[in-house]
Amino acid sequence: MVKGKSLPIGAGISIGIVILLIFGMGAFDVKALSKTPDQGQPIMLRPDIITFDTVEVFGKLEKPKAVFLHDQHTDALEKKNKDCTTCHKSENGSMSLKFMRIKDVNREELTKIYCDNCTKCHSETIAAGEKAGPVKCDECHKERPEIQSSRVEFGFDKSLHFRHYRAQKNQCDRCHHEYDPKSQKLFYAKGKEGTCRYCHNKETTSDGTEKVISMRFAAHLACIDCHQKTEAKQMDAGPVRCGGCHDAQEQLKIEKVKSVPRIKRGQPDNVLIKTGDKKGRIPTMMRVPFSHKAHEEYNDTCRVCHLASLESCANCHPLVGSNKNVKNGKEISLETAFHKRGHQSSCTGCHESKQQDKNCAGCHAFMTNTRQQESSTCLRCHMVPLPERTGELSTSKAAKMARLMPRLWKETFGPIYTVDVPKTVIIKDLVDQYEPVEYPHEKVFDTMVKQLDSSKLARYFHYEDTTLCRGCHHNTPAAGKPPRCANCHGKPFNTDYLFRPGIMGSFHQQCIGCHQKMGVEKYLSCTACHKERKKES
Amino acid sequence: MSISRRKFLGWVGAAGLSTTIGKPASAATNKHFAGYPDSFAILHDITLCVGCRSCEAACNKVNDLPQPDRPFTDLSVLETTRRTTTKAFTVVNKYDNPKKSGHPVFYKKQCNHCLEPACSSACFVRAFTKTKTGAVVYDASVCVGCRYCMIACPFEIPTYEYDQALTPRIRKCTMCHPRVIEGQLPGCVEACPMEALSFGKREDMIKIARERIRTYPDRYVNHIYGEHEMGGTSWLYVSGASFKELGMREDLGITPAPELTAGALSSVPIIVGLWPVLLAGIYAVSKRKEKIAQTEQEQAVASALDKDRSEQSQSEEES
Repeated sequence: MVKGKSLPIGAGISIGIVILLIFGMGAFDVKALSKTPDQGQPIMLRPDIITFDTVEVFGKLEKPKAVFLHDQHTDALEKKNKDCTTCHKSENGSMSLKFMRIKDVNREELTKIYCDNCTKCHSETIAAGEKAGPVKCDECHKERPEIQSSRVEFGFDKSLHFRHYRAQKNQCDRCHHEYDPKSQKLFYAKGKEGTCRYCHNKETTSDGTEKVISMRFAAHLACIDCHQKTEAKQMDAGPVRCGGCHDAQEQLKIEKVKSVPRIKRGQPDNVLIKTGDKKGRIPTMMRVPFSHKAHEEYNDTCRVCHLASLESCANCHPLVGSNKNVKNGKEISLETAFHKRGHQSSCTGCHESKQQDKNCAGCHAFMTNTRQQESSTCLRCHMVPLPERTGELSTSKAAKMARLMPRLWKETFGPIYTVDVPKTVIIKDLVDQYEPVEYPHEKVFDTMVKQLDSSKLARYFHYEDTTLCRGCHHNTPAAGKPPRCANCHGKPFNTDYLFRPGIMGSFHQQCIGCHQKMGVEKYLSCTACHKERKKES
Repeated sequence: MSISRRKFLGWVGAAGLSTTIGKPASAATNKHFAGYPDSFAILHDITLCVGCRSCEAACNKVNDLPQPDRPFTDLSVLETTRRTTTKAFTVVNKYDNPKKSGHPVFYKKQCNHCLEPACSSACFVRAFTKTKTGAVVYDASVCVGCRYCMIACPFEIPTYEYDQALTPRIRKCTMCHPRVIEGQLPGCVEACPMEALSFGKREDMIKIARERIRTYPDRYVNHIYGEHEMGGTSWLYVSGASFKELGMREDLGITPAPELTAGALSSVPIIVGLWPVLLAGIYAVSKRKEKIAQTEQEQAVASALDKDRSEQSQSEEES
C-alpha cells in the first residue's frame, strides 16, 4: 500500500460505513417531535354538509370532492327573497332534489351543470359587490378538514306523528301509500299504514321491476316538499333547512306533545300473544296475555317492537326453526324474538334494559346476563290460569279475554311485604381494626320498597315476599327468612368454591358495589360504615 | 502487520465457520417452562380496587419496613404516580377512567414474580432464586451490587439502597415467601378488604380470571395480563380499563427474558473454548510451514553454495 494515499482513503471508507449504519438503524425515520402543528382554521361543526359525489359513479375523480353547505346557501338566498326554485327544478308539481336538473345524464353534462351554474351565480354576486363562493376550480375542489359534520339522525316519534295527524286533519293518505307494480302507481291502502322505513331502506334498491328509493330521498321528497308548500301558503310548517331537523340543538326545540292520544290503526287493547304457525302447529306452553294498550304508552314508536310490519310477531317469526331460509324474520325463531337478551325489540331484552336504571342497579348489576331464570319468573308471563277460571285463558276469544285481563292483573300487581325485616343488624364477624357495623337494615329495605313501588314493571316482577330479599341474600331459595352472609362465605380462597369470595370480601364487594352503582356517595369511605377501634395500649 | 490478505480472510472464515458447530441453546432444556407445578399466584382484580392502601400498610408491617413520611391513610399521595422504592415494596396508583369520568381506577404494582425471571437470569452470582412456591426471592449475602437485575427487569421493579454505603441491598416484593411456606397468606392479600387480591394455585387463579371475564363481559377487558407476558408471571391482572391506560406495558411479548439472551450467550463457550485452540493451531501450522520452507531454502542455498565452491575448487585444480 502506498503510505501517502492510505489515510484519506481509510477515512473515507469509515465515514461511508458509519453513514450506512445510521441509515440501516433507521435513525432518520424518527419523526421530528418539535414540529409545530398546522395553524389551521378552527373546526366548524355543521349539520348541512353535502359532498358532491354524483360523478363518482362514472369512474375515478380527478379532483377532491367539493364541499357544499346547504343551509348557508338557503340563508343567503332567503335574504335576497329567492327560494328553492333557484336551484331545484320542479316536475309534475313536486320538486326535484337534484341540482338544476330532473334526471342524471352523463359525466360531461353533469360536470357542466355544476361548474357552470355555481360559478355563474357566484360571479354575478361578486359583480354586485357582495361576498360569494369560489369561482376558480381549485377553490371549490379542495379538502376542507376544518368542516366536520354534526348531523344527527332524525326520525318520527308518536308526538311528532300526532302533530302531523292534527295538521293534516286526519288525512292519512297525505303521507301513507302503497305501490301497485301493475299500474306502477302509488295508492293509499286504508288499514295498511305503517312507517316509511318498512319499504324505504338505507339505500335505494331496485330489483328490475321496482325501484324503491332510500329513506333519505323519500323523507326529503315528502317532508321538505310539503313543508315548503305550506310555508308558501303563509302557514306554520316544519323545517326546510338542513339544521332544522338534523341539528342537535334544533331537535331539542321541537315541541313535544305531553299526552299523545292513541294512533288509530285498529290495534287490540289486550291480546293473548299469537304463537301458532301456518302449518297449524299449536304451541304447547301457556299463552302470554299482553296489554298492547299499556305497552303503547311505554314506547315512543311502534317500530321498537314491530321491526318489519305491524302484524303480529308470529306472522314472520317461525315457531319452529328450520334449515331453510325463511324470508321475513329469517332464522330468528319466535322464541328468540320474544326472549333475546340485549335487544330492545324482545320482551325480555326491553325489560332487562330497565334494570340498568340507577334505582335497580344495586342488585341487578351483580346478576349476570347469562344466568338461567327460574320457572317462577317465566310463569309471570306464561301465566297458569287461576283455578276457578280453568281453560278460559287458553281458549277464550280475545274480546272475552280482554274483559278478564284487568281483573287478573289487579290481583297480581303490587307486592304486599309482610316479611319481618330486622331494624338493625350488628355485623361483628370480623371485628379487629374496626368496631362492629350497625347496619340499618329496615331503613334500607324500606327505601328499596319505595323505589320499587314507583315502577309498574318492577312491582310486577318483585311479587313474592322474599324476591326483594334475594337481591342481597343471593343464591338462596325463597324458603322462609333469608340466611346470614357468613353461612356460606367463610375463609377466602377456598379451593372447593373457587368463585366464592371470603366473608370480608363479600361484605365489601356487596356493600361498596351496591353503593357505587346506585350513586350513594355518602357510604364509600371506611369509617362511614364502621368506626375505628381505639387500640388499648 | 505483514499478514497477507489471503491469510486474513482464511482465518476469519475459519473462525466464523466454527461458530456454526454448536447447537442453539435455550435457557431450559424443555421448550417452555410453565412454572413449577402447584406454584402459587395472585390474581389482582383491578375493577375491585378502591385505592384504600391497606395492602401497602400490611406490606410495611409484615416486612418491618420503616414508617413512611405520610401515613397509609393519607389518600392524597395517589394524586402522583409513584414507583416501588426501597421502603415500599408495593404501591397503589390512581388513573383516570375513560369509560366513566369521576370514577378513577386504582391498581397495585409490585414484583410480578415471573415464571422465568429476567433478574435471575441477569444475575451472575445467583442472588435470585425462583422458588417452588412461585416467589422470586433475593439473597443479599451473595449480591455484589452490580444492579444488572435493575436493568434486566422489564417492569422496573428492583430498587437499590444507594444510601447504604457499606451493605446496600436490592429490595423488592418477596411474595411473603416465609409466610407462604407456613401456609399463611401474603400480607397484602390478607389485608385487602375488597378481596381484589386472590391467592391460590396459578391454574386456579387463571380459572377464576376466565370465569369473571366470561360472566361479566362488559365489565372486563378480555385479557389476563401476566398469563403469557414475558413467558408468564405469578401476578395476574384483570381490568376494566385497557392495560395501556394503567401504564402497564403491552409491548413485552411472550418470550421469557432468559430466552432472549440465550442465543448470544450460548456462543460464548464456543468462542472462548474453540477459537484460541483453532486459531493457535492454524497459526502454528502456518508458522511451521514457513519455518520448514525457510530451512529448506537455506539448505538449498547452502548446498548450491557448496556445489558452487566445489566446482570452483575443481576448476581451480584443473587449471
